[in-house]
Amino acid sequence: MPLPRLLAWLLLLPSALLLGLVFLLPLGWFLGNALGELGSGSEILSEALAIAGSRAMQRSMLVTGEISLATTLCCLAIGYPLAFALTRAKGLMFRLVIASVLLPYFTSVIVRTYAWMVLLGRTGVVNNALQAIGVTQGPLSLLYNRGSVILGMTYVLLPYMVLTLFSAMRSVDMRLLQAAAGMGASGARIFLRVFLPLTLHGVIAGSLLVFILAIGFFITPALMGAPEDMMVGMLIERQVEQANNWPVAAVMSLVLLAVTMVVYAVYSRFADIRRANPA
Amino acid sequence: MTKPIVTGRRAVIAGALATPFIWRPARAAQQLVIRTTGGVYDDIMRRSVYDGFTKATGIEVVTAAATMSKLIAMYKAGGAEFDIIDTGDSGLLNLERLGALLPIDYASWKYGNPDEIIKELKFPYRVGSYVYATVSTYNKQAFPDKHPSNWAEFWDIKAFPGPRSLPDMGSGQPPLELALIADGVAPDKLYPIDLDRAFKSLTRIRPAVPKFWDTGALSAQMLSDKEVVLSAVWNGRVQTLIDKGAPLAIEWNQNMIQVQAYGVPKLSSNPKGAQLFVDYASQASAQVGYAKELRYGPSNTKAYAMLPQDLLDIMPGGPKYRDLGFYQKIDWWEDNRDRVTKAWSNWVLG
Repeated sequence: MPLPRLLAWLLLLPSALLLGLVFLLPLGWFLGNALGELGSGSEILSEALAIAGSRAMQRSMLVTGEISLATTLCCLAIGYPLAFALTRAKGLMFRLVIASVLLPYFTSVIVRTYAWMVLLGRTGVVNNALQAIGVTQGPLSLLYNRGSVILGMTYVLLPYMVLTLFSAMRSVDMRLLQAAAGMGASGARIFLRVFLPLTLHGVIAGSLLVFILAIGFFITPALMGAPEDMMVGMLIERQVEQANNWPVAAVMSLVLLAVTMVVYAVYSRFADIRRANPA
Repeated sequence: MTKPIVTGRRAVIAGALATPFIWRPARAAQQLVIRTTGGVYDDIMRRSVYDGFTKATGIEVVTAAATMSKLIAMYKAGGAEFDIIDTGDSGLLNLERLGALLPIDYASWKYGNPDEIIKELKFPYRVGSYVYATVSTYNKQAFPDKHPSNWAEFWDIKAFPGPRSLPDMGSGQPPLELALIADGVAPDKLYPIDLDRAFKSLTRIRPAVPKFWDTGALSAQMLSDKEVVLSAVWNGRVQTLIDKGAPLAIEWNQNMIQVQAYGVPKLSSNPKGAQLFVDYASQASAQVGYAKELRYGPSNTKAYAMLPQDLLDIMPGGPKYRDLGFYQKIDWWEDNRDRVTKAWSNWVLG
């Protein structure tokens, strides 16, 4: 039974207050102040458009989009089978798999990123092992490139994908699959015509969630990327910490926020949040 | 053994927000809050300066970390958390230009003597505490016979192959001076920096640079993990590795000297005490302790005579290496910070 309207609003009040006080208010204050430094009225708009359209910003948005998209696809490719296995696993197996998905989730991003650096370095575990068994002669450059950034980010974001897909898959009525099999459908056909369509909202929701989180990434590309893998978050940090140029940082943040909101609008339209994340 | 000391503008890559609010008890006149980079640096400074100062004056010294952007934000918001700022001189120049600092009251000095301070380190609104240097560091195993002996050879990726690293924009100052010297500009003709020429020079070395370092910690880690065999790093950082037995060595030729300094914020609630502290910390005897531990050159010329020869051999700014090096001109950096940040972003993003 739906809650009475007033009660629902009352229950929402604490989180709305928290969001307003510690997020929206400071955000508005910062943007107002920083953009105010750009001039007045139409000056602000033309300055802001110039910053948003600058070459560095365009290049960085492209880098951010490429890395985020690749990360999302990797998470999906690894997460889908994993989530499916999770729906079938029982007892100890289930607990082991869910623990290996969740434990990294509770570990700090910095620690997880450094772990990869230890593994992938020139004198790291992987390179030493490859040389010890004679596969390679000298050390390979596994770190500080686009691939290592995507690897590190996929590892950090995988739990979001797996958990979203898992709840979508768990809500599928397995009798439908049995019915399809009973009608003589092959395994591949059951998957493509029944299971995949029924879990598609989970795929969309998980992908958009991972993508939204990915475009704001900062630590992993900063630590594991090549110099040219500069995502927008890093560009903003530069403006605040190095150039001390808050107006530019504010405009860049606004662009990033706008992109996030657009993706979120798609997320909330195509993915029924209540269905994707049952309580 | 001391751990690496952070002298950059940032202590850790993500630690920008972690400054505690400092509660000031009623006896605030007997306490000073100093901005430092935190960590082991605080312990060394406490042993060599703060404890002696408290003993001599009865004024307690409390430390806290803050980034430059935080200090600026604090000033703009009218907050007064700090009485003394201990940081790189470019940050202090930035604050000075915002009108956030009080002049150093040299006339009131009773412990220190302004005439004893190295002239390049003495300014109306800041006074140097020590100098450190960006030096060429090489792996002795990678270069057993012949190593790059100047920045031009450091840039020569054919004659001296191997992955190398240089400071990133995130460290505060990308290696524009080094790039120009490598391209043939004399160290006394660097300023104003020709940005185009500097970036063209950087483009030549970039294929051999897997990563530019943005924190002192990263610069040291990349050398000790052999991610790179050649790097331009702060001398104290690499000295720590050498002392631990890493097969590294410093080439002091063309070392770039940089300055750490004290400033007193205008909003300090105890400006008198802060000036007294700067006075106390500027005397030779107060500087010997941290110079020994940090391997950075004291700002007081008299302090060098109190240091043993083996330390002078690994320390910038002193009689041995001063003439091999050149001072970085921080005014140019503060005049052009916006331009450089933009040019750097465009350059790395290609």
